[in-house]
Amino acid sequence: MEHPILFISIILEKLGLPIPHGPVGNTFLEKLCEPYMTYTWFVMIFLVVVGKLTLSNVEMIPGKGQNFWELVIGGMNDFFNDNMGKELTDKLFPMIATFALYIAVANLIGLIPGFMSPTSSINTTLALTVIVWVTHHIIGFRAHGVGYIKHFLGPIPILIPLMFPIELISNIARLLSLSIRLFGNIMAKETLLGILFMLAGAYFAPLPIMLLGVLVSVVQAMVFVLLTVVYFGQANEHAH
Amino acid sequence: MAKLSTELVNLLGNYGHIGFTFVAAIFVGLGGGIYLDEKVFDGRTSPWFTFIGLAFGIAAGFKSLFDILRTPAAKSDDKDTEG
Repeated sequence: MEHPILFISIILEKLGLPIPHGPVGNTFLEKLCEPYMTYTWFVMIFLVVVGKLTLSNVEMIPGKGQNFWELVIGGMNDFFNDNMGKELTDKLFPMIATFALYIAVANLIGLIPGFMSPTSSINTTLALTVIVWVTHHIIGFRAHGVGYIKHFLGPIPILIPLMFPIELISNIARLLSLSIRLFGNIMAKETLLGILFMLAGAYFAPLPIMLLGVLVSVVQAMVFVLLTVVYFGQANEHAH
Repeated sequence: MAKLSTELVNLLGNYGHIGFTFVAAIFVGLGGGIYLDEKVFDGRTSPWFTFIGLAFGIAAGFKSLFDILRTPAAKSDDKDTEG
């Protein structure tokens, strides 16, 4: 496939760092210089710098930047409160809000030529998903102790041999579906945009896909966060 | 327009992942069955655990569909549209 022009990779190459020519590097330094890693750092730096610039002096009467963040963070806080309760929200808000902002920015950044979405690599999405999956089991064990296993046994005692494998499979399927959904949607968007740029970029052919790309990026970020919140809420509540 | 697009995003968020969840459950069941057949029992029980795993996977897929309908987010969405 045509290699896309990624400006961070070009800068790093000029600096003399090894850029892997396949999807995965061989040495440790090559692994660190893979495009999805460098763009992950780019998104992290972007979020930190923007947060620092807009929130350096928090005031009673909010300015433009502070107003925006109050809207975003307040909206997310209400949404989490509705779906998983106040106690869990207070404990886990920083983690899920970070995921939301990171995934949204990482998805949208791929729409700009010269950038790529870090979430279009399965490594990134699988890492996020494993964190969420492990955390929701930890929440379950902390809330119910050994009784957490009741979540997997279904409502009727006689049906336990039938329900236990089903619940186990559908729980492991969360790991698969959560990571592959985000990865697949964003990778499809990136690949389609790349191909359309290559074929008819001069005639603005990628524009309609870019419009859809904005919708897909926002919806996928929202789906990931919604499912995270729902899983945390389900692990915390009592078994049916 | 703003209200319509918010509703669209909400609906996509709540129900847009049904397909992936269903397929993932079937694949996990099937994969587990194949693993039991080939790796744990060295192909002696083939193809029985594959079929059992597939059946459990499909059942888990339908169970996760019901789970999606029962999530609090979907419930609050229903209330909004009714009243």
